[in-house]
This record gives sequence, structure tokens and C-alpha cells, in this order.
Amino acid sequence: MNGFETIFLYVGMSFLAISAMLIISALLGPLRPEPKKLETYECGVPLLDPAHKRFSLRYYVVAVLFLIFDIETILLYPVAIRYQVFARQGWAIFFEVFIFVAILLVGLFYAIIKRGIERE
Amino acid sequence: MELLWILVKILIVFGVVMLHVAYATYFERKVIGHMQVRMGPMRVGPHGLLQPIADGIKLFFKEDVIPTPADKQVFYAAPLICLISAVSSLAVIPFFEGFAIANINIGLLYIFALSSLASYGVVLSGWSSNSKYAFLGGLRSSAQVISYEIAMGLSLVGVMMMAGSLNLTDIVHAQMSSSFKIYLIPQFLGFFVFVVAMLAETNRTPFDLPEAETELVAGYFTEYSGMRFALFFLAEYIGMIIMSCIGVICFLGGWSGPFHVPGLPFFWFVIKVYLFIFFYYWVRATLPRYRYDQLMALGWKVLIPLALFNIVLTGTIKSISG
Repeated sequence: MNGFETIFLYVGMSFLAISAMLIISALLGPLRPEPKKLETYECGVPLLDPAHKRFSLRYYVVAVLFLIFDIETILLYPVAIRYQVFARQGWAIFFEVFIFVAILLVGLFYAIIKRGIERE
Repeated sequence: MELLWILVKILIVFGVVMLHVAYATYFERKVIGHMQVRMGPMRVGPHGLLQPIADGIKLFFKEDVIPTPADKQVFYAAPLICLISAVSSLAVIPFFEGFAIANINIGLLYIFALSSLASYGVVLSGWSSNSKYAFLGGLRSSAQVISYEIAMGLSLVGVMMMAGSLNLTDIVHAQMSSSFKIYLIPQFLGFFVFVVAMLAETNRTPFDLPEAETELVAGYFTEYSGMRFALFFLAEYIGMIIMSCIGVICFLGGWSGPFHVPGLPFFWFVIKVYLFIFFYYWVRATLPRYRYDQLMALGWKVLIPLALFNIVLTGTIKSISG
């Protein structure tokens, strides 16, 4: 068995164990539904309106920034792993990483200056 | 035969970690109790030692209340997503020499992937509860986790540059043969960023805004009760243990120690993990909660630039030393 097959086996077993926990709890625990008990909690006052409605997602920009930066992080990983091998052959790899990081930093500063990460 | 050994290993890891999670809650209550000049749990068993078991049994006997307005299917699935993605990360952690359920070559990447997956559970539980507190908690948590995910990913690039591998066992071996024995000293900047991002990733104080009890009741799991609530709780504590394990493996030298303890190859690993967990509790007892915009500013304006600087610094040192 290779590593990933083992992981699938492990995930399957943990899924079974967690399901067993839920089933045992469902068998042992009481089930006495009441309309008042099943209401959504809102600090005791009657519910004003459901929570599923339009909302202003201020962090949309943050999510886009996350996508960009996460992809760039993933791009850094292969370079980081092979860095020692390339470093023995001279400074070319250092400047490549430096330029890559500098571009990242410029992008980050642009986002900060444009107030991309603030809630406005 | 091989399959049997793998099954035994899976059972050992699952059982031992669940037991440690139970006693991590006891440890937390004791530590915080003593820091606030209280005794902590004392009633159940000597010094309250049976308290976590009593709590666990109690949770099995609780009613599973599902609010009528909730989106049932998603409501059922969300805690499972959270807990399974947390538990699955344990599969690649080497607890001592040669003992990992699956020794895959992309261990760190796998852990990052699963920790991102856990935030789906949080967002979905916030949405499906159809409650305003849960919804706001879910939104906050997703924005926070994705912000600190980047800082955490970048803080470990320095470790990868020094070890030359993503395999967690290889990282520990590379540390043992390095000049300082642990990466904490050459990678102190990366370690600092990692520790702060670690607190934020697991939604612990001072970054526990998603479940800030004074404003959002319990955040994204406000509407959950009984065993489903316990699943979120377990996911949080397993997340803490995993983050501690990554910290130990990447910065503190994994299972290696100043001297060999016969018969207990995992001795140093467990000690170091508990150091991290104690640090979590210490911070919780000491620091007040951050304000939301300060939290985002810290992540984007301080930690990410610091982590990027750390990459360049490590690169410079590596290139000079050849």
C-alpha cells in the first residue's frame, strides 16, 4: 500500500468512528421536539427575519487577494525545495527568488495603499 | 500482514489522540484555573482527573436539537467536514522515528490543504444554521483563516529551503544534521510568524473573534447542540494538536532530544507538543481579544511582509554558505 491509499483507509475509518459517535448519541439522547425549542436563537426576543438574505460582503476583495497570494505561495514551494541544489551553482537562483518576492511585496503594498484589506 | 499493521497504527493514533484531546481540555481548565488563582475542576475523581470522561459521557446523553429554519443536509454535514479534515491531518505526522501512518512526500502541503478544507465546515455551518450570530461568526472566521493561511504558508518556506523537502520525516532528519540541531535559531522570524498564524488559524485567543462570546454568543456553532457541538469542539482541539505538531516538527526538531529515553521514542515529541499547548493556554489567560480591523491589519501588514523578508534572508544565508 502506498501512502495515499493508507490515507484513504484512515479517512474512511475515522468517518466510520465519527458516525458511530453520532449514532450512539442519537440512540442514547432524548428527542423531545417543541416548536419553541426549535426556533432560531436570537437572545430570547422573537425572531425578526431569517438570516438568509442579502448581505454586503466586505471581504470579497480579501478573498480575491487570498486566491492570488495563495497561488503565489504554492509557486514558491518547488523553488524552496530545490533551493539548496541551485544555490551551489551560483547566485542566479537567489536573484530569481528575490525578484519573485519583490513582485509579491509590490502587489501587497498596492493592495494596502488601495485599502483593499480594510472594511470600508 | 502489512495491512494489519497499518490498521493497528490507525487505531493507536486515533485512540491516543482522542484521549489526549480529552485531557487537553482538563489541562486547559487546570492551567487557566491556577493562573486565575482558582483550583480548576476538583470534584470528579482525585484532582478532577475523571472530569473529561464524565464530560464525554454526558455529551452522549444530550438531545440533538436541530432548529426548524436550518438547512438540514448542510447542517448535518458541516461538523463532519470540520472534524474529518482535522483528524485526517494526523495521518502524515511522524510521532517518532519511522512511525507515521502514511509517510508521503508532500506531507506539509497535505496538511495545508486539509486546514483550508476545515474552513468550509465553518462557513457552511454558519450559513446553514440560519441564525445571525452563526452567520456572522462563519463570515468572520473565513476571512480570518484565509488571511492567516498565507502568512502560515509563507512562514514555512524558510524551513523548506533549509530542509529541501516537504516530507515531515525528512524535515526532522535535516534538522538533526544541521548545525544548530533545531531550526528555531536560524528560522526565528519564521517561527514568530508561524506561532502568531497558528493561534489565528485555530481561532484561539487573542484571535477568537469567530466565537467571541460577548458579541456573537458562540459564533458559527451557536445553533449546534449535543454530539454535533462536541464534533466542533473536538475539531478545534485536534487542530491545536496538529498545529503544535507542525511547530514541533518544523522548528523544534521533532522527536529528537538532548538524550535518549529508553523505551519511550515519542517522549520528546509529546513533551514539546505539550509545551506548545501550554503556550496556547498561557496566551489565552494573558491576552485580551483583538479588534477585527487590527487583526486583519496584523495579518496583512506585519506577518506577510515579515514572512517574505524571512524567505529572502534565508535565501541570502543559503547562497552565501553555498
